[in-house]
Amino acid sequence: MKKIVVLIFLSISIFSSCEKDDFCTQNPVTPNLVLEFYDANNRESLKNFSSMTVWSESAENNDNLFEDITNNKLEIPLNQFATETVYNFSQNGIVNQFTIKYSTEEVYVSRSCGFRVIFNDVSFESDNTWITSFTPQTLTTIDNQNETHVQIFH
Amino acid sequence: MYKYFISIFVLFVFVDGFSQEQKKDTLETSKDSTLYKSSYGIRVGIDISKPILSSINDSYTGLEIVGDYRISKKFYIAAEVGFEEETTQEDFTNSTSKGNYIRLGFNYNAYENWLDMNNEIFAGYRYGFSIFDQTLNSYTPNVVRGEGNGIPYFPVITNTTASTTSLNTHWSELVVGFKAETFKNVFISVSGSYKVLMSSKDPENFQTLYSPGFNRVFESGTGFGFNYTISYLIPFTKR
Repeated sequence: MKKIVVLIFLSISIFSSCEKDDFCTQNPVTPNLVLEFYDANNRESLKNFSSMTVWSESAENNDNLFEDITNNKLEIPLNQFATETVYNFSQNGIVNQFTIKYSTEEVYVSRSCGFRVIFNDVSFESDNTWITSFTPQTLTTIDNQNETHVQIFH
Repeated sequence: MYKYFISIFVLFVFVDGFSQEQKKDTLETSKDSTLYKSSYGIRVGIDISKPILSSINDSYTGLEIVGDYRISKKFYIAAEVGFEEETTQEDFTNSTSKGNYIRLGFNYNAYENWLDMNNEIFAGYRYGFSIFDQTLNSYTPNVVRGEGNGIPYFPVITNTTASTTSLNTHWSELVVGFKAETFKNVFISVSGSYKVLMSSKDPENFQTLYSPGFNRVFESGTGFGFNYTISYLIPFTKR
């Protein structure tokens, strides 16, 4: 009988103390939009933007996504609960609005990762203040961020 | 020359001799002729771990009835029928599986009983089948940002539109355990099982996370089970 009591105790402890054993290692699961900034005069070479602040009006608490960054590559998330995300790229006080329109699709990944969002029928718009042009104008889908999605010339 | 070789070989020859050996006693001892008969019949019971788990775990409800029928000295046909409902809470999803299952197979008793004892250390095989509904209660799109799983930039809304799909799974399992007769015809059994999924119908754009009778479906389609049963033997004959 003692053995059985020990066994019950053991089995209950096994059942109740199950630690989480899998973690989502895919990161990020939902792809960001990847922008690369090129020189408008020499379209082959990358050109840094300087002390740029990036934000979107629809963000939580109106936070800035990036503040005062200098780089030639930008990874920005898209709003998964809207069909449009408007970003403001402010460089030296000049704001360039960049609009991304899309439809969203939720795709199941795995137990630990849950659902990710992919973006279909993507189109881009810019009010071209300090950005002179960009390419491409549309994308059929954004389902990964291994490559640059949009090249921006300034 | 060969003569020497042959002579050398003779050195390797050895001879056994026995002189002090005594002849064995040839008195016949009569064999013990008492035969212990054991009961054959149907054994029915319930898994008592499941009601206990149901009472301590809010997200689980289950009941299982077990039975076996002895067909020979070592073999038993065994079956389990049950109902389970389990809510699986993951980081980004919350789902409930609810349905019935049956497991059919046999047990082989590897234990040599002393005298008239009726204990078992058994190993067995089961084929399992379950029909159930899996409801995706709610899910949150995974939009975590960056390496440190930062807070998403845009507000995240949990989708609470539940969707239910009717599913089924088939699996094979290996069972090992032991049984002990505690009172006359009353058996207590503890067993564990390792399950391998043979086929399962997955919901569209989702996954079977828990299947009744199979328990949690692990990444590679494997599962583990545990049974603690009390059963009663209805004896038919003694052999």
